[in-house]
Order: sequence, then C-alpha cells, then structure tokens
Amino acid sequence: MWRVLRKLAEDRASMLGLCMILLVVLAAILAPILATHPGDVNQFHTAIRLSPPNAENWLGTDRMGSDIYSRLLFGARITLTIAVVAILVAVLIGVPIGLIAGYYEGLGSDILMRGSDVFLAVPQIVLAIAIAQTLGPSIENVILALSVTYWPFWARLVYAETRSCKNETFVEAAIALGCSPWRVMVLHILPSISSSIIVRTTIGMGGTILTAATLGFLGLGPPPPTPEWGRTIAESREFLPMAWWYAAFPGLAILVVVMGFNLLGDGLRDVLDPRLRRAARGR
Amino acid sequence: MRILVLVVNRMVWFIPTLLGLLAIVFFISHVIPADPAAFAAGENASAATIAEMRQRLGLDQPMHIQFLRYVMSIFTGDMGNSIYTGRPVVEDLLSRLPATLELTLVTVVVSTLVGVPLGVIAALRRNSWVDHALRLITIAGLAIASFWFAILLQLLFSMRLGWTPLTGRVEGWGPEPITGFYLIDSLINQDMTTLVDALHHLVLPVATLAVPAAATIVRFTRAGVLNALESSYVLYETAMGYPRWQIVWKYVLRNALIGTVTQIGLIFGILLAGAVVVEAVFDWPGLGMFAVNSILNSDYNAVMGFTLIAGTMFIVVNLLVDILQGLIDPRETR
Repeated sequence: MWRVLRKLAEDRASMLGLCMILLVVLAAILAPILATHPGDVNQFHTAIRLSPPNAENWLGTDRMGSDIYSRLLFGARITLTIAVVAILVAVLIGVPIGLIAGYYEGLGSDILMRGSDVFLAVPQIVLAIAIAQTLGPSIENVILALSVTYWPFWARLVYAETRSCKNETFVEAAIALGCSPWRVMVLHILPSISSSIIVRTTIGMGGTILTAATLGFLGLGPPPPTPEWGRTIAESREFLPMAWWYAAFPGLAILVVVMGFNLLGDGLRDVLDPRLRRAARGR
Repeated sequence: MRILVLVVNRMVWFIPTLLGLLAIVFFISHVIPADPAAFAAGENASAATIAEMRQRLGLDQPMHIQFLRYVMSIFTGDMGNSIYTGRPVVEDLLSRLPATLELTLVTVVVSTLVGVPLGVIAALRRNSWVDHALRLITIAGLAIASFWFAILLQLLFSMRLGWTPLTGRVEGWGPEPITGFYLIDSLINQDMTTLVDALHHLVLPVATLAVPAAATIVRFTRAGVLNALESSYVLYETAMGYPRWQIVWKYVLRNALIGTVTQIGLIFGILLAGAVVVEAVFDWPGLGMFAVNSILNSDYNAVMGFTLIAGTMFIVVNLLVDILQGLIDPRETR
C-alpha cells in the first residue's frame, strides 16, 4: 500500500491529476464560502447582464446577470454528484455480475456476459441520450442513464479478472478448505482484483463527467436554473462572439476535472496493474 | 476456405447482438415510459387519441407479442414516422447518412495521418520531453468536451479571424446529389469550386472530431511500438547488427500497426458519438444534427431510430474490423 502511494507520489503527471481533482472537489465542498455571489444560482440582475470579467464578477456574468464564477462553483457540486453516484451504481451492478459470471461457468454466465456485450456495442452517449430523452431532464434521470450505460465496463473487467484468478492456487486452496462460494468471491477474489477496479473507476469518472456534460449541453441534463456546466455552454452560444467568457470558463472547468481523473487513472494503472508494469519499467 | 470459416465464426454473434440492441431500444421505448401511447401521441393529446394510439401501436397486446411485432417492423424498415418532419424516420435517417459518413471518414484519415507518426515518435523517444509533452496533450485531447472545443474553434477562426465558414457543408446548395458525399459528387461533376468550398467547410468539424480520435491513435501506436521493441525478435535483430531504422521500419512498425488497425472500430465509435454534438454546433446536416433536433422537438420515433442506426453501424464496423484483423494476422487463419 505504502509502496504504491510512494511510487504514485513520484509520478509528476499523477500528482498534477490529483491536484486538479482536489481543486474541483474543494470548489464543490466550499462553494458557499468561496462564492462571491452565493445567491446567484437562482437570483439575477439583468442590469449587469453579460458583463465581461471585472473586479465585482471575476469571470463575468451570464445572460441573467448572474455571477459565472459563483455558478461554476455550485456547478462543480452537480457534476461531481452525478459522476460519483452514477459510477457507484454502475460499480454496484457491474462488479457482482462480473464476479458471479466469472466464478460460475455455464449458460447463465454466458447470457450475462453477452448481455453486457450488447450494451458495450452501442456508443455510450447514444444510449444515454435515448434513456435520458425517455425519462425527461433531471439529475436523477441523468444518473440513471449513466449507470445503465456504464455498468458493463465493470462487469466485463471483473469477469475477465475473476476467470483468470479462479485458477490461482490461493483460490483453489480456499475452495479446498471448504470456503463457501460467496466467501471465496468476496474475501479471496475481490481483494486481489481490486486494483484493476480502482484503475477502471478512476478513468471511468472522467468519461462519465464528459458524457454528463454532453447530456447537459443537449438539454437533457438537470433543468434551469441549475448551474450545470454543459447547459451553461449551450446557453452561451446565442451571445457569441461577444460574451466569450460565458462559454470559455465552464468548458475549462470540465477540462480540468476530466483531465485530472484521466491523469490519475493513467498513473494508477502504471503503478497498480501488474501486466503493464513490464511496459512501464523504463519510466 | 479458412477465410470463410473465420468470417462465419465472427458472424455468429452478429444477429444475437443486433437482437440485443433491438431489445434494449424496445425496453427504453416501450417499457420505461409509464404510458407509451400517451408518449407517442404527443403532449397535448386527448384521452380518445391516446386510446386510439394504444390500439394502433398494439400496446394492448402482451409484452412478447409487442416485441415480436417491433422486431418485424424494424426488419421491414419501418421505424414509424417522425413527428416533426412527418416523413418515415428511415427516409430521414438515410438521407442524412452520407453527410455523417463523409465527416467521420475524413476524420479517420486525418487522425491516422497525424496520430500514427506521433505515436511512433513518442515510442522511439520514450521518456524524452517529446514523449512527456505528447502524453499530456493526448490526455488533454481525450478530456476536452468536443462541443466546447468546437465552439472555441468557431469563436476564433470563424467569428474573430473569418478564415473558415461558421456552419454548414457548402455555401448555398450542394453539388448534384449522386452519392451524397459532397467531395465525391463535386469530383464527378468536375466542379472544383464546390470541392474547395466543401473542403473549407470540413476543416473545423474535422479538427474538432480528430482531436480525441488522434489522441487515441497516438496512445495505441505508442503502446504497440513499445511492445514490439521489447520483443525477442528485435533483441535478436539488434544483436545481429541490423541498423536501427531498418529494424523499426521493416519489423517493428509492421507488427505494431496491426494493433492500430483494430482500433479503428473503437475510434469509429468515438467519432459517431462525437458527431452528435459536433454536427449540432456546426449545423452539419447529418445523423447527429438530426438526433439533436429530434431531442429538442421531443421527436420520439426519430431519437429511437437514431439509436438503432448508430448502434447497428457501430456493430457492423466492429464486425468488419474483427474480420479484417483475422485476415491481417496469419495466426487467426492458420
């Protein structure tokens, strides 16, 4: 554990990623304190609409005259909530399915895995659009659409890892000692494949945030006046090229948080994934 | 003969996967909505209209009969009518297909031409500043929201500098439609002005789409080349005293690029997904813009039709890549 953390701390790219994530997480937690105009999530001041960045409104104002900086901070809460809950649900569906399908062999496992293959056969954003469109725009529905779309990634991964793990001596020993299948799966197999799950989850966070922002941009995200980043960019389009700040900063926020997760995921994979350790030897 | 066996082998899962896709879309469109008839009838429909719609759509039948009817209607090319255009969804989708294919194919070519050389350079100069810079750039390229990047490009190159057109495929009407691909059509008509204009309109959408695609290609090419460099045949050839450029050019690249070829399926998926928003930003009259407009108009049949056609295209491309990989890699046909 300590070895992993120390190696990770040596990788500058991963640390940069971690800092970017922490920046956004702190922004989300401390939003009411950091915001200069905390009320501007709902309030508007049409007299100062579309003002460029200045001393009062650090990142300018939007079409309602609301402070973009403050709305960005509260937007971080929405983005992180959607991503964390959606990924959590996807992991809670995908990991048990992968474990069970990987542990038991037979028709049931084949059906489970082929089922998840079908989900993987459709581009995620397309499926998420179809589901979100059917359910209507709200935070809960975006979360539902994303978890339904993303669970097969974990099912596939855990299935493959469980299959290869089943032939290891320590699993055979556990079975020979009379451990129940449940015990073998949860206490013996799951811990040994947890690093792959962690890597996949970190990288998955980035992808989920991008898809969530895209849904917001298409008008399928949480409804206004929610300060969701994707929706804010969509709103800004009428006011270009004049109000460049309106479009620029929310997109920058998306870039920072997604890049943070991708950098950290990349670094974690180099440190944790034994199969790739050989390729990373020269680092 | 062996090739035939390979193709049949790969085809076995094609039909079940397609049926699975139909099942998912059926579930989303017929099971999730509390009352699909009310949904299909539109927002302001009266109770009588809804009841009539329910009977017309066969929603009073048991679920498995409904699914069978649904599959039958899809296979006969009936996806219902678009509420907005009033035309069959299939016609609307097919008329927009060439625009999307032209955009994605040009992007695949551009991102391969950019991505493969950069990937090779990153691998050969591993751990140099070039490699580190490329790592950061590719990660950023995969992290950028394409709709945002598209807007920034428009803001700079179309609105501020005026170098590129803001939206659309050409000025005014396109060339005489033969294939629907403007580049090919204008070549057939020997209409150079339209060809140049079409290329001009392609620059920004292709640049937007190519960023994540090229980033993916760079990363896979780098990994493939590194893998090949560590193999025992490279060690052997190095020991034999072959010049390094010859080892890289003749042996490493050939083996490493097989992996990159198989990534085209994945990249095609990225592009198809990316096309949804990029087409919306650039008013590119393809499948993606059709899908976005359908979402905005709550045109339900059209959204489901788009989901089906996008999923099917993705499955078909992956099947082709699978077969292609089998043909390239002699181990598969042995």
